[in-house]
Amino acid sequence: MIRSVTHLQSGAWHRAHLIRHKRAWLIMACVVIVMSLLAASGYFSGVDWLLLGNAVLHTTYRLAIAYGIALALGISIALLVGWSPFSDTLFPFFDILQNIPSFALIPLFIYFFGYTSQMIILFAVSSILWPILFAVLTAIKNAHRDLSDAATIFGARGLRRIQYYLAPLSFPAMLTGSIVGIAIGWESVIGAEIIVNSITGFGTFISSASMSGVNHATTAGILVILVIVFVINRIVWAPLLSESAKRYAE
Amino acid sequence: MILVLSRVCASFHDEGKRSSCVLKDISFSIPTGSFVSLIGPSGAGKSTLTRIILDLMPHTSGTIVRNFSRPAMVFQNYALFPWLTALQNVAFGLKMDGMPRAEREKIAREKLQEVGLEHFESHYPAALSGGQRQRVGLARALAISPDLLIMDEPFSNLDTITAEALKADLLKIWRAYGMTIFMVNHLIPDAIELSDQVLVMSARPGRIQETIAINLTRPRDTRSERFFKEVDYLTEIIRNVS
Repeated sequence: MIRSVTHLQSGAWHRAHLIRHKRAWLIMACVVIVMSLLAASGYFSGVDWLLLGNAVLHTTYRLAIAYGIALALGISIALLVGWSPFSDTLFPFFDILQNIPSFALIPLFIYFFGYTSQMIILFAVSSILWPILFAVLTAIKNAHRDLSDAATIFGARGLRRIQYYLAPLSFPAMLTGSIVGIAIGWESVIGAEIIVNSITGFGTFISSASMSGVNHATTAGILVILVIVFVINRIVWAPLLSESAKRYAE
Repeated sequence: MILVLSRVCASFHDEGKRSSCVLKDISFSIPTGSFVSLIGPSGAGKSTLTRIILDLMPHTSGTIVRNFSRPAMVFQNYALFPWLTALQNVAFGLKMDGMPRAEREKIAREKLQEVGLEHFESHYPAALSGGQRQRVGLARALAISPDLLIMDEPFSNLDTITAEALKADLLKIWRAYGMTIFMVNHLIPDAIELSDQVLVMSARPGRIQETIAINLTRPRDTRSERFFKEVDYLTEIIRNVS
């Protein structure tokens, strides 16, 4: 599992990402065509679409909340650490922490929060947090010294340094960290739902569908998740990456 | 004097935690309103010295008297904020001063006009050429009305034609503003053409070896015999200290 991302702040990276998005359109068109053909042939006739829709909605809702918390937490910690004179000391500490496998900690989350939706959300936060935190922190640490000096000389000192220098500096890193974080977040939320197995969610849905041998429902669920992931990429990440490539190109 | 350094030393700890002396017994002073150049070989510690003067890093011993209140700097690599347009970059220092938006944008537009970039205010740095970026960097420095302008090899990333044009503009701006300019350079003809005084540095550890007053009348004829003599003289000094 990818746990951290080394941020490349080059325009080339963003351009390559945009090309991948164009290819994703083609793949997605194929997925939609396959889904339509399967539906027309009656393959999905036994699928309870209402139940599946409700499950996907709950999972997406948990992921959205977890991402929001992880984003706020990750950026805040990274900016404060990057701003503080102790960043070099704290960096290895976070590096050790991020190497702990998330699922190894799930018993702790269950112990403290039980088999609840809150547990799933907080568990997902602990997974999404690291890519964002490390991407932002790495961007701050790797910033050109002259840029940092320019910010100081022209008045971005004290707490204003965070708002006017560190935050905009790390915007592309926040994007790449978020993309990786969300991918890990899907895994964490669905995985935790499968473990809990008594709560409405996509993990529970495919778990019970697989166990009861309703493979059509599992296939339908996977295809629906693919479409959702694609739509989020096109609506949210692609425009942000495009803007970032325009502004931050070397 | 706007700046006086007396026996300034600076040391750093390398990765093996050994202390290495980068600057040793640096002493010189810069008269207010003058144009002073610092030249020396690569690795002499010229950029380190500018950072110490601006209090961006500490020195180990010695005394620095800073009689300036608003320093500004122009960087070799431009150091423009890529997320801001040319206008926003120029207005950055004024924004940090708390100046209202309309006022700071008016000043920033004036400065962009002074450096010949009035039609580029909405361009991001990535869309500008090296020469244009350096002009934005100069406009950003001028916008805060500095009393000391430090320039770290401002022409080294530019082609000859662009560098010549920027030098001419810089001299005009220096006369118009009456500020003090301290320029790090490694081109001897540039240092003689622009400066009242040239400091020659040697490397490992960085020391000021010579302080040479340039007494050529302005505007300077860079093809005159006296100019070439000054270039030869300075070249010989640098050869001896390298």
